[in-house]
Amino acid sequence: MGKSMTVRRLNAWYGAHQVLHEIDMDIEENRVTAIIGPSGCGKSTFIRCLNRMHETHPQARVEGDIRLAGESLFDLDPVDVRRMVGMVFQKPNPFPTMSIFDNIAIGLKLAGVRRSSELRDRVERALRMAALWDEVKDRLAKPATALSGGQQQRLCIARALAVEPEVLLMDEPASALDPISTMRIEELIEEIKQTYTVVIVTHNMQQAARIADKTAFFYQGHLIEMDDTTQMFTKPKDKRTEDYITGRFG
Amino acid sequence: MRKVSKAAKGWDRGFRVLAAIGAASPAVFLVSIAAIVLVESIPTIRFMGIHFLTETRWDMGNLYGALTHRNGITAPAGASYGALVFIVGTLLSSVIALVIAVPVSVGTALILAYRVRGPLGFLLNILVELLAGIPSVVIGLWGILVLVPWIANAFAPFLKSVLGFIPFFGGQTGTGYSLLASGIVLAMMIVPIITATTRDLLVQVPLLAREGGLGIGMTSWEVVRYIALPYIREGFIGAVALGWGRAMGETMAVLMVSGNATNILPQNLYSPISTMAAFIANQLDSAETDASGMAVHALSELALLLLAITLATNLVARWLVRPRRRGGVVAP
Ligand SMILES: Nc1ncnc2c1ncn2[C@@H]1O[C@H](COP(=O)(O)OP(=O)(O)OP(=O)(O)O)[C@@H](O)[C@H]1O
Ligand SMILES: [Mg+2]
Repeated sequence: MGKSMTVRRLNAWYGAHQVLHEIDMDIEENRVTAIIGPSGCGKSTFIRCLNRMHETHPQARVEGDIRLAGESLFDLDPVDVRRMVGMVFQKPNPFPTMSIFDNIAIGLKLAGVRRSSELRDRVERALRMAALWDEVKDRLAKPATALSGGQQQRLCIARALAVEPEVLLMDEPASALDPISTMRIEELIEEIKQTYTVVIVTHNMQQAARIADKTAFFYQGHLIEMDDTTQMFTKPKDKRTEDYITGRFG
Repeated sequence: MRKVSKAAKGWDRGFRVLAAIGAASPAVFLVSIAAIVLVESIPTIRFMGIHFLTETRWDMGNLYGALTHRNGITAPAGASYGALVFIVGTLLSSVIALVIAVPVSVGTALILAYRVRGPLGFLLNILVELLAGIPSVVIGLWGILVLVPWIANAFAPFLKSVLGFIPFFGGQTGTGYSLLASGIVLAMMIVPIITATTRDLLVQVPLLAREGGLGIGMTSWEVVRYIALPYIREGFIGAVALGWGRAMGETMAVLMVSGNATNILPQNLYSPISTMAAFIANQLDSAETDASGMAVHALSELALLLLAITLATNLVARWLVRPRRRGGVVAP
């Protein structure tokens, strides 16, 4: 089952540059939350805070409180946090030296899965979920870099799903994909929200409208507004939200 | 149209001739050096044959007595040029140097590439470059003053007491002038090159790939182990080969701490040794007193062998660390 996350007074910096200001947000379990906003407003930074990836950057700094099902992320080991809060990046990033199979199996092996039959089953299950199995089942031993961009991105989704996190963060997972791969990913998100909490960054308003239960609008490092998606796209409360979703800027 | 003056044309031609000479000179140097040592070695190659590589006895013979003849070559009576001691000394000391230098270099390179930024990173990088610039004779002097006594009084007895049951670690602990001292001194001299090369390789590993590893819950070490190191593997092997080549060719520092053994193979880590390079430097003077010229020919053959080995490791190394694109291209 997915878990909820709560964010309170989150501030984040790159060096002296404050990127996020006093963000408060409740992310409900087993829901899809979309993050929208103009380029550079801090969407990626925000979700990178949610799995403590932001702080791996040498000049980065975070303040505030983030809880996963009530437990503070900063009381946990970041490695454990990232096992529970998985991430799909803006650009596909399969492990360049590994085969398709190993790209997924490595996370399982490190998480303690030893039996090869179990490994094979779980790799297959993850690939099926990401709608990639049929395309790669005959060449699992081939390097992952031999896949197309869209296939690589689905491989990365499978890789994140394989270790069964509670929350899945997706940073514009479809921005580099063709319409068909995009549709597959949207269907996949629809499916997995039974078992996962999903936070997805997107530039595509229609996509947010199609898949998200909740939508949050970021602007210049501030969370301007967050609401049910239908509410947000029909009756935004803030003028800036309205301007953005009607395409007046961004 | 501008008219090019005669003088300008002359200068241009001169420049092109100079550039051509400059471009050709490395090849010319290499070929002429190789040719000279090869020609100079021919008499001993004929005199000793394969025994040059397999015998331990290196003896210039009786320089003031009778001469012997073998395979059409004239040499002082009793002369024998067996290089095995120096070959073994070169290989063992350089391998010990690698065993020490590789982990140190990888650790340092990882820190330099991934851990430190800003002024501290700058400082550490400078230190690595500085270490590379220390003249070999200075390191040798440090070896004599500090390392050799320390090995004799503390380190060798300690190693013996802890690991003495392993063949090469037991036995006489000696004077400190040893295989071990040579290996350590060589390690110091090759750490900078391996570190710098490995660091440059590590920074080429895409950040996105490393973040992907962190993203599925890998520890920093696991990211290094499963993503970064496999990514740089070939180049890293090349970096090690580069260091190895350098360790085998290094002369002065080894000469100062090796104990200059002749005619006897090392019995353990604490035995004196000599390497090909150190022995050549050490023996050239006395070899020149051999009126038959055979001693110099023998040293030339040693130089030829050393040149061939270091050239080969360097070529392999350069080929492995060559810059290349990585990613999309995959074998069918
Ligand atoms: N590695 C970095 N170092 C310094 N500043 C950064 C870094 N990454 C992002 N920033 C800055 O942080 C701010 C927010 O960036 P972020 O990547 O979170 O925006 P975003 O909303 O995801 O934009 P996009 O839609 O273009 O992906 C920007 O002003 C950006 O310049
Ligand atoms: Mg972004």
